[in-house]
Amino acid sequence: MSVKIGIISFAHMHAYSYADVLQHLPAAELVGVSDDDAERGRRVAGELGIAYYDSDEALLDNVQAVVVTTENARHTEQVLQAADAGVAVLCEKPIATTVADAEEMIDACQEAGVQLMTSFSCRFAPAFIEANNMIVAGELGPILAIQGTNRSRNPGGWFTDKQLAGGGSVMDHTVHIADLMRVVTGDEAASVYCEMDTVYQPELPVEDSGVVTVEFSQGCIGSIDCSWSRPPHYPIWGDATLCIIGESGNLWLDLFLEHLDYYHNPDDSYNWTSYAESPNYVLMEQFTDCVQSGAPVPITGQDGLKALEITLAAYESAQSAQPVSLPA
Amino acid sequence: MLNVAVIGTGTLGKSHVANFAQIDGCQVRRVYDVVAEAAQECSEQVGAEVASDAKECYADDIDVVVVTTPTSYHAEYCVQAAQAGKHIFCEKPMTRTVEQGEEIMAAVAEAGVTMTVGHVVRLFPEYAQATKMIKSGELGKIGMVRMTRINTMPRGSHSWFQDFEASGGVFLDMSIHDVDWLLWTFGKPERIYMKGLWEHMPKLDYALCTLRFPDGTIAHVEGSWADLGLFRTNFEITGSEGLLAHDSTANVTLTVQKRATEGTGAAEVQVPASPAYKSPYLMEDELFIEALQTGGPPPVSVSEALEAVKVALAGLQSAQTGEVVEYQ
Repeated sequence: MSVKIGIISFAHMHAYSYADVLQHLPAAELVGVSDDDAERGRRVAGELGIAYYDSDEALLDNVQAVVVTTENARHTEQVLQAADAGVAVLCEKPIATTVADAEEMIDACQEAGVQLMTSFSCRFAPAFIEANNMIVAGELGPILAIQGTNRSRNPGGWFTDKQLAGGGSVMDHTVHIADLMRVVTGDEAASVYCEMDTVYQPELPVEDSGVVTVEFSQGCIGSIDCSWSRPPHYPIWGDATLCIIGESGNLWLDLFLEHLDYYHNPDDSYNWTSYAESPNYVLMEQFTDCVQSGAPVPITGQDGLKALEITLAAYESAQSAQPVSLPA
Repeated sequence: MLNVAVIGTGTLGKSHVANFAQIDGCQVRRVYDVVAEAAQECSEQVGAEVASDAKECYADDIDVVVVTTPTSYHAEYCVQAAQAGKHIFCEKPMTRTVEQGEEIMAAVAEAGVTMTVGHVVRLFPEYAQATKMIKSGELGKIGMVRMTRINTMPRGSHSWFQDFEASGGVFLDMSIHDVDWLLWTFGKPERIYMKGLWEHMPKLDYALCTLRFPDGTIAHVEGSWADLGLFRTNFEITGSEGLLAHDSTANVTLTVQKRATEGTGAAEVQVPASPAYKSPYLMEDELFIEALQTGGPPPVSVSEALEAVKVALAGLQSAQTGEVVEYQ
């Protein structure tokens, strides 16, 4: 029996990739979508050949699990509904835009006995899996420093709406690298410092550039470039890179590097066309397996919250121009 | 004819001896090193005398003193050379402490001699080109500036680089190149925050520094002496009008491989290079001699070199105290 899954909202572009994966995953059955933008919902449902539900409640009545890909600040609303309906949730990152929201989501899912997984897909990139296995096996010795980047083009739309997104590039791009840092160190951040600004499009109401410095409780240091610094015609949407310095060795990861150079005459374009396997496939496979078996999900709501805490500390630091300590 | 004496014939000392020897209007008259054999070997290449005491390098027949000793000795030799009325070329970083730098500045001003410091990166064509493009305004308002410089842990005579008290570690000794370029291009920073691994010397050192400039520019400087591969640098500058990037490993115009030869003990080796008509190291020595001949300003002034030392030390101060350093 495959797991019946729905998608709530195509506000986040990752929903398209999740839908594609779900339609190829034998263990899953993508049964339908709901979307508060009915026109978008109907169009996508039509393209995917699945049902459109005109309310989230109606969708939740027909599935065992949902993917929540609404705008960041609205995740809470849908996750609480799903918990109420006893439906397992895969929530897009960042899990929420405030600690209170994230905690409410985690508590509600726990009380309802439904699984809540945070969509940190970078954990499933093959190069990261290999690197982390080496680190866990002790091949690099203790991890001393991690320098990471998650840079992209400005995604536009609601991503630059402070109410819906909770911030700009720092909200969008700190959590993936922060999460990988937590995985690699097995530790939590103790202090956070951040410089951020609005530069590339000065009229934006949110920041579009930033660099976050983190120190973990056991002493590992790190920085995260979370800027929307890729120009509109950059040959790829962006990157996720890590440089990891260990006592016994170093390693570099460039998770979206695999590509063919593609020069295309009709539109005078140059792009990178990826040949990498999608980490979203493994992410979704693990999620559906957990839903089916009832096993704990590999990336929890708590993981989403810890990465969010680093992000929110970055905003606090940028306000005060001082490092911010996180409680142990 | 300007007579040049060189104090310190390590790697850079030898390089300067070879360069000054081929510049019209000057000759290398005398060399000195605490390791007599090193001075002897170096002197033979250019037909210079070997001094038995550093003081012979400030003798009446000398016009220019080149100071290429370990950093902590720079002040002593530069002050003595200035007091003896000699013009001075000193390697970077100018000094280990701000006080030493101020002593040199005072001695040079009082003696009325001309002094420069080897901040050679300004002469590297890729960095010079970037500065020119930034200053022309064609990149628009500058946002994130990322500078990376990576090397293995250097040794030097008596492994002085590995002694933090002597060298200041990777940030003062090597990242100061990037710091000088930033100061040259953007002016003085207003605050500095850094994390570093200097306590892991002599095994390795690593630094992640964020500098905020009055015009809003955010610079991230990564310096590594934790590497096991070849020396390399890269930078990325993003502004409202574009992205400019350079990676030394991606701009190699000549690669030479040599097979291991039995009997000679020569190991297999691969050397990447990007030859220029004139190396920046020769260029900086030529510009200095030209300044002496014409009475013009030196390529890099003592006050600029002191500023670079101050900023690098402010980074170390931030790393050691965990606090943001407001830069005056």
